[in-house]
Amino acid sequence: MRKNVLALISLLLIATFALAACGAPATEVPAEPTTAPVVEEPTAAPVVEEPVAPVEPAGTLVVWADDTRAPILEKLAPKVLEAYNLELQVVLKASLRDDFQVAAPVGEGPDILFGVPHDQAGTLVSNGLLAEVDLGDKAADFAPVALGACTVDGKLYCMPYATENLGFFYNTDLVAAAPATWDEVISVGEALKAEGKITYIMSVTGTTYDLYPLYTAFGGYIFGKDDAGNWNAQDLGIDNESMIAAATWLKDNLDKGNLPTDWDWANNHALFETGETAFIMAGPWALDRIRESGVPYALADAFPAGPAGAGSPFAGTQGIFINAQSENILLAQAFLTEFIATEEVMMELYQAGKRPSAFLPVLALTDDPDLLAMGTAGSNATMMPAIPAMGSVWGNWDSAIVLTRDGKQDPATALTEAGTKIRGLIANPLTGMVNVPGSYQAAAGCPGDWQPECAVTAMAKGDDGLWRSGPFALVAGDYEGKVALDGSWTTNFGVEGKQDGDNYKFTLAADANVSFVFDPATNLLEIVIE
Amino acid sequence: MATTAGQAKRFQASSESPLSVLLRVALIVFFDAGAAWFIQKALVQDFIQLAIVIGIITLMFNLIFLLPKAYPFRWMAFGLGFLILFTIYPMVFTIYIAFTNYGDGHLLTKDQAIPLIEKIKYLPEGGASYSWTAYKSPDGKYALWLVDPDGNSFLCKQDEPIIAAKPGDPGVGAADSKGIPASVEGYERLNKLLAASDKTLPDIKFGTEDGITVQISTPSLASALQVRYKYDLASDTVVDQENGDIYLNERGTFTTKDGKTIKPGFREVVGLENFVNFLTSPALRGPLVTIMVWNFVFPTISVLSTFSLGLAIAIMYNDKDFPLKKLIRTLLLIPYTIPSVITILIWRGMLNTEFGVINRILNDMFGWAPPWTVEAFWARVAVLLVNLWLGFPYMMLVTSGALQSIPSDLYEAATIDGAGGWRRFTAITLPLLLVAVGPLLIASFVFNFNNFGLIYLFIGGGPPIAGASTQAGYTDILISYVYNLAFASSGRGVQYGLASAISIVLFFIVGSITLFQYRYTRMWEEVSENV
Amino acid sequence: MSKQIQPNLFGSQKFQKKLSVAIRLVIAVFLILFAIFPVLWIISASFDNSNSLATQSLIPAQAGLKNYQRLFNMDPNFAFSDLSYWRWLFNSVKVSGISTLLSLALTTMAAYAFSRLRFAGRVTLLKAILLIQVFPNLLALIAIYVIIFQFGEIIPALGLNTHAGLIMVYLGGSMGMNIWLMKGFLDTIPRAIDESGMVDGASNFQIFWGLLLPLLRPILVVIGILSFIGTYGDFILARILLTDVNQYTLMVGLQIFTAGQFDKKWGVFAAGALLGALPVMITYLTLQDQIAGGLTAGAVKE
Repeated sequence: MRKNVLALISLLLIATFALAACGAPATEVPAEPTTAPVVEEPTAAPVVEEPVAPVEPAGTLVVWADDTRAPILEKLAPKVLEAYNLELQVVLKASLRDDFQVAAPVGEGPDILFGVPHDQAGTLVSNGLLAEVDLGDKAADFAPVALGACTVDGKLYCMPYATENLGFFYNTDLVAAAPATWDEVISVGEALKAEGKITYIMSVTGTTYDLYPLYTAFGGYIFGKDDAGNWNAQDLGIDNESMIAAATWLKDNLDKGNLPTDWDWANNHALFETGETAFIMAGPWALDRIRESGVPYALADAFPAGPAGAGSPFAGTQGIFINAQSENILLAQAFLTEFIATEEVMMELYQAGKRPSAFLPVLALTDDPDLLAMGTAGSNATMMPAIPAMGSVWGNWDSAIVLTRDGKQDPATALTEAGTKIRGLIANPLTGMVNVPGSYQAAAGCPGDWQPECAVTAMAKGDDGLWRSGPFALVAGDYEGKVALDGSWTTNFGVEGKQDGDNYKFTLAADANVSFVFDPATNLLEIVIE
Repeated sequence: MATTAGQAKRFQASSESPLSVLLRVALIVFFDAGAAWFIQKALVQDFIQLAIVIGIITLMFNLIFLLPKAYPFRWMAFGLGFLILFTIYPMVFTIYIAFTNYGDGHLLTKDQAIPLIEKIKYLPEGGASYSWTAYKSPDGKYALWLVDPDGNSFLCKQDEPIIAAKPGDPGVGAADSKGIPASVEGYERLNKLLAASDKTLPDIKFGTEDGITVQISTPSLASALQVRYKYDLASDTVVDQENGDIYLNERGTFTTKDGKTIKPGFREVVGLENFVNFLTSPALRGPLVTIMVWNFVFPTISVLSTFSLGLAIAIMYNDKDFPLKKLIRTLLLIPYTIPSVITILIWRGMLNTEFGVINRILNDMFGWAPPWTVEAFWARVAVLLVNLWLGFPYMMLVTSGALQSIPSDLYEAATIDGAGGWRRFTAITLPLLLVAVGPLLIASFVFNFNNFGLIYLFIGGGPPIAGASTQAGYTDILISYVYNLAFASSGRGVQYGLASAISIVLFFIVGSITLFQYRYTRMWEEVSENV
Repeated sequence: MSKQIQPNLFGSQKFQKKLSVAIRLVIAVFLILFAIFPVLWIISASFDNSNSLATQSLIPAQAGLKNYQRLFNMDPNFAFSDLSYWRWLFNSVKVSGISTLLSLALTTMAAYAFSRLRFAGRVTLLKAILLIQVFPNLLALIAIYVIIFQFGEIIPALGLNTHAGLIMVYLGGSMGMNIWLMKGFLDTIPRAIDESGMVDGASNFQIFWGLLLPLLRPILVVIGILSFIGTYGDFILARILLTDVNQYTLMVGLQIFTAGQFDKKWGVFAAGALLGALPVMITYLTLQDQIAGGLTAGAVKE
């Protein structure tokens, strides 16, 4: 075999040059013949043999899936052909989302994208790559939280099929029952350590996501929510007292030797699996390896509690998406609701993926005690925020925890600096905005009053260097307002152009149109009533 | 240079036989015909850029093969063709993108986005929505059984008015368990999937023009939908048919005056905005000096170390009769044959400060081990060590090839003159070798200058710099630092436009360094041309 | 330090040579240890059923063949009919082999012109080739994808998901640094050889083909191996251009196993990467004799 290949190679090489040599004279076209092999040589690969179907299939659906999901879908393909006369082309893909992002705009994407985390949905929607999904009556069969995760701007863009969150594992040889509080984790662990049974109390597999249940037990959060329940990027909790308290707790226990100094994912799993630590927080994706290691373990029904009550993990949802450029959108939608969203198929997906199903009838049948315990512990889980501001959080947050862990900075400094950096990045889009937040804003079309970030009342710069907004049609009454820059209150001007000065007040005797003019040279605001 | 001039004259003087001229012209005509066919096909399909590029290449070929003066280029015509198509054209594309807002949120072109926007539908006030069941006649006509939210049912056949109907009515079969008739006379009931597999079904308007019409919108709903947005080419605006809102094209997003937008946005030229954004971004307020210094130290040491080790190996095991030579060299090639994606991660595990095998061994032997992942100095040493491992086989290959070009009689002469081993190395081997591999050293420098993969996979730029005003680490190089700021943490997804602008700025830095290095090392002079 | 001289008749020299060989052998042992130590861990990971990349000990706690079963599609839980390691390997060898040979042809001829012919723009073009390599061609991937897609709409045999299209893209990189390497080597070949050919009335092509090419053998092999490894190990271009599992090259195929968000199957990847490295090593082992030798064979007798 090897020899043949070598012989082939040398033959080809000779052929290439021989062809080139044909035009022997010095002035002859020397390179022309080298194209011949380029064009003719590598013939298009063997055509994939179509399964011989008695009738022409009524339609074809192309599905991209990863190596866990693709085999299941492939197994189902004959059933789909038989029952619905539909051909299912399953393509195994290495990096679903990245490839989709390149192929879909050209029109070469699949009809269905199978198995992408929900937090990708926002970006894909804003890129115009996703079609809406309509689950019809089937919507009631899905976990509402999972459906919420698939919703962007009030519309459903994916069909969820699995959810996942961390669980709290403990070694049953070492610990009789799950500890109820983080203090208990330490006291139980310190006793074990004193007996020499373990090296460290708990494995730590990461700095941010993997420790979230600890942070939340201390009352920490990343973003707050507004009244409507949406994430509020302006309310960043990364450097609040609770987060600092949690980081200080980590540092104290590191200094006492209770936690390993290195938080490598695989190494810390190995520590738990070899009985060198008594506790670990890990997700369903780690179940297989923990089971195979043979370590005796159990899962707690709730995360240990801290000053702010039980900790809550982040939750994620795996979704199925439909390509907006597909020619078969209706078919793809029907395929999802009629075929995938059935107990049989969802069961198969559940069994291969080892994630709690987002499909309630299957979830009800779940008998895996570990997954059930994880689900219970995650009943207070926070869905991973799918807002773009999250992108600014991860790296800075991780750096702060690493600096704390390695003793380069104290927790308060590290987290405060991280908070400043993140706020700087999040505020960035509004830099340069000049606005007149005030009590008239809701009437002018803003979500509420006193919102320096509301674009509706933002001012525009005129050729004369003055900023103007309005006219806004307002009903009679008393109003107040102020000038604010960069979409926040940090820089604001009140009466007489004073930073943090008093509000401007104006009264309308009758309904009127109101405009504002701001002079950046004097920081004065003029209110024009017509 | 006398020989060169003589030679140059020679190939021009050599008279070409008529047959050869004929053959050459025939070939170029054949090529032009192919190109013309291709360009025409490309234009039909609206691939304007591709047609232009192929046109340029064709023009170049004609010049090269028809002008006697262009003779030397005939030796590289095809190489240049592929270069233009797959390297230069993508470069031009990158430069163009630097002046657009291409990226997340503006991924599609305007021509792609507008049809998507015009596909969006709405249900007018008072418009009805029904659940549907489809039936098909043998001649391909459809009928729908509609049920409104109040439970009233309707039958509509294609091209006929919608009529109220109940299961069991004349021509309508008995109801099934869900209250849907099992059959309609002359039609066969379809399941949802089978019905949906007809791509034309969503386009069919049931009902008649004067009455209400109903279209299938989703697998569960059919409704009297209207197109929501209409695009007006002349004013470049979109009008909302539902409430009359006017959307203006604001830098690739249709936006109303009060800030309402339509998704998706599309690619639009934004001028110098990306460059301005970069130059005013927080990136330039960060620990740039630390990063720049390391960005030069890292590739310099990497090139020197890999080259030295590679050359040492090439020389040490160059003798023809050296025992096990082939085996030794093959084993030393191994690091180059395994994908670096996995070897970098293996190294990361081995150099782990607490658990890594290397530190466990060192701790057992000396009671101390370097804190690779914690201290800036050791982290940098670790990066250099891994890069040495990754890079020396390449240098070994290149230098062992280049060594063969040094005539051994030079060594013999030097030996007779009494030159020692070191003297022979510095006086003969190194200068001659540098002629051949000098440019490759520069290329290797440049590669490492932008060696994002290693820094990112191995250590993620860490350990972090405490107190820095932006997120940065001690092993961050410019490109990994900028990547973090431009992509990972901008909070606005991937911005190809900004990234292209940054890469063009980087190109000017690296490009001038490269040219400067060349001038400085005087490699252009081709010292050994006439050895 | 290094020596590269012909054996001498003096006895002391003979002893010196033996000593030098012995020292170099000892150094070789250390170098090989350095080179293959990490590879031992990859081997270990490939036999480790726990699927962890950073095992704590060299002998995995749960040794087994699970990864190899999965690689060869023999794991009943994850059987996918199109998953065929051998097909990927064959595709890789085919694509890399053909593009290496064609790019060698393009490189060598261009380098000949740069080294032996004098023409306007020669140095500028050489500089430009170098500068092009410096350009961080960030969006090349997207542009190339579109070009190949459009090619395929016109000539399907050169479109997406064809090996011919991929080879064509690889050839786009053949006018790269390898020209410099080849030109540098050509520059060191004495002009006297060309002149002896000219005296005999040979054409440029005859000189190139008959006189110079045989002397270029060592550098041809080196560049060939470099470019073979380069295309063989590429997964960035191949991943985006090849859309069907049957057409995947080895590196693209292996990426499938590391695509999961959390459950990356590094063990399977390690197994596949190790086996995949073998063809390259065997080729190098076989071709090594060609690298030695060079210009001593009496070609330079004016």
